[in-house]
Amino acid sequence: MSDAAISERLADMAKSGVALQRRPAAATWDTLAAVFDCFADEDSDERRDLTAELPGATGFSEPVVREGLRLGLADWNGDRFRELIARELGPSDREVHGFATTAVFLAGSIPMPTMLSLAAPLALRSPVLAKLAARDPVTGPHFIRAVCSRDPELGSCVDFSRFARDDRERVAALLRADCVVASGSDETIAAIAAQLRGPRRFVPYGHRLSVAVIAGDALRGDRIQTAAQRLALDIALWDQLGCLSPIVAYVVDPGTAAADRFAEELAAAMAAIEGRLPRGEVSLAAKNAIAHERASAEMRAAGGARVAVHAPSATSWSVVREDSTALREAPLHRFVRILPAGDAAELLDAMSPLGPHLSAVGVAGVDPERSPLAEAFAQLGATRVCPLGRMQCPPIAWRHDGRFVIEPLARFTDFESEA
Amino acid sequence: LTTGGDPRRASLDGAVLEWMREPSWRRDDARFEELALRAFSFQFEHCAPYRRFCQGRSRSPANVEHWLDIPAVPTGAFKEVPLHSFPAERCVRRFRTSGTATAVRGVLHLDTLALYEASALPTFRRHVFPDLGRGERAILRILAPSAGEADDSSLSHMFSLLVAALGADGSGFDVTGGSLQADALFARIEDCCSQDLPVSLCGTSFAFVHLTDELERRGVRYRLPVGSRVMECGGFKGRSREMPRTRLYARIEDALGVPIEMMVNQYGMTELGSQFYDSVLVDPESLRRKLGPPWSRAVIVDSETGQLAADGAVGTVVVFDLANTGSVLAVQTADLGRTVLDGFDVLGRQPGAEERGCSIAVDAMLATTRP
Repeated sequence: MSDAAISERLADMAKSGVALQRRPAAATWDTLAAVFDCFADEDSDERRDLTAELPGATGFSEPVVREGLRLGLADWNGDRFRELIARELGPSDREVHGFATTAVFLAGSIPMPTMLSLAAPLALRSPVLAKLAARDPVTGPHFIRAVCSRDPELGSCVDFSRFARDDRERVAALLRADCVVASGSDETIAAIAAQLRGPRRFVPYGHRLSVAVIAGDALRGDRIQTAAQRLALDIALWDQLGCLSPIVAYVVDPGTAAADRFAEELAAAMAAIEGRLPRGEVSLAAKNAIAHERASAEMRAAGGARVAVHAPSATSWSVVREDSTALREAPLHRFVRILPAGDAAELLDAMSPLGPHLSAVGVAGVDPERSPLAEAFAQLGATRVCPLGRMQCPPIAWRHDGRFVIEPLARFTDFESEA
Repeated sequence: LTTGGDPRRASLDGAVLEWMREPSWRRDDARFEELALRAFSFQFEHCAPYRRFCQGRSRSPANVEHWLDIPAVPTGAFKEVPLHSFPAERCVRRFRTSGTATAVRGVLHLDTLALYEASALPTFRRHVFPDLGRGERAILRILAPSAGEADDSSLSHMFSLLVAALGADGSGFDVTGGSLQADALFARIEDCCSQDLPVSLCGTSFAFVHLTDELERRGVRYRLPVGSRVMECGGFKGRSREMPRTRLYARIEDALGVPIEMMVNQYGMTELGSQFYDSVLVDPESLRRKLGPPWSRAVIVDSETGQLAADGAVGTVVVFDLANTGSVLAVQTADLGRTVLDGFDVLGRQPGAEERGCSIAVDAMLATTRP
């Protein structure tokens, strides 16, 4: 789509949106619920097609896509979507409206956020034109096709375009939408924000990262192996490329042996999971960064630090046991550092720089619902505290970036009577 | 030489210096092999962290028979441990990496500047001034602080050395107090233009961005006299504004009237005693590529296997530099590159940043959260 075509499409969609807004919101919600039901169903044509196409388009291995979708979409069904709407928008659709048009800048390569990013404006009956992410050109079109096949009127209000993120003309054209939702790096978000003209709703989702914390009983006996296996799954799914992928694991224990042992257990778990869920394609730049970080860690070890590198000769996974909580480069693609913290105070001190960017904290040996430590993570800025092994399965209603999913895209109107 | 009084080191440095001082450059594989293995053996013995690093890879002088098998330390290692092959108290100078996005700076410890200087001067002259006759000098304007102002900068040291050795009257530094002294620089440039004297501008890439921005802001364009040239080096990491090199060169050409074929990029780093330069002036008829002195070799290795990459294939740039006798001669850079004829091309670090999606790079995050 050229920039002129984007402008034209937005104008057409705004017209289609008028008809959409006249019909009951429940009809739109029914369609979207049905679409989520079909993607949640492993045997549906839509799910099968998406599973088949994602590996080639994104570079993830087929087993990773299959398992990632199985776990990620297990509870993303129509009922949960309706609950999300009810929670965020309340019972009356008279008070809530979408914007005449919404532009969505998608990012990354994980399919679930893409689906929700498209569904959220539609739930408000706001037509949506999306810029697809370079790394995932298929989820958006699949989702849109599923909408169109069930509800052509709603389908006429959702479309996509593909262009480079630095294509200023096309970006500017898309930014003529009345509401703009953008995901990506802080740099990308800032570039988009700088191009915004005139009053419009802007909903940015910038840089985020996640971490794991293993403490207490999870480091004792066989439980350490369980924690390592669960963390390995969280790292392996989507090849550690999402903002819910842990880039470091803090081992909280007064002794140094716990971090040693956890690193060894995690290495064993990473090796095992590589056989079941092999890593996908990796750029040369990423391989280069992994090799460099591994060698730097070896050098620290050679310099006398309590550092150990557990990794096969290939770059398929890397576990680096560090000797402090200092943050270092994260090359991703299944590269994780184990950072030892003597106690909770040291842990929280080490995590404090992460606060503004913290997304999820996956925990073992910490009760997410009752532990004061979990509360402290929330105080730091975490928007999700969950058990290890569940980091890649956020509920559909998870308040990404600490705010509602649909509500930020809505206009609310309060009607007041004289009484 | 002040090489710690070690006769093996003194002998090694003497042999390397002899090569550096020879007027004609000649690739000599046997000589390089012999000196590289001697340097490796010495460094293995005298640099304990490096020895343990090598042992971790089951390499030692006993089983390394070819210079390509010498274990290369990553540039990041210079931030982590002191990598010197002489007693710490013999250190006479420490060069530090530039203040990039990460807080910890790499350090090159030196017990002598002799090799650094003996390598830098002829390499610069050969690649940036191949047309400069014996005893001739050139007007050099340096868009960087002098060594007096930045004594831990290897780049400033090199520029000070170049100005002293090759600079004609009118040469000097145009960055003081951290700022480009634009008025003074433009006055010098105008002098050169009025007298039709070629002037050569040398500095970091970012300094040239700043310079061209300033010219644009003033609405000024120069046409530097024929023979003028540009030597730029370094990247943009940690800076607020990046620019592809092709665009930067186009801007320089537009602002200063220096043709692109008179612009030379230097590939060097604090961790290395030698530098590599674009071939554009020394071999203008052939492909632009990086070339270095015969006592320094750059190879491209497969980032996954560590083995030599196929000709033309992209891989990690690894440098073996005999000027590094006091530290470690084999250095694995963080850059990707590929071989081009008898040289190489540097492609940078992260051409695939988009794959990161919303997952922030830790260094970028730290840059935003540090006071």
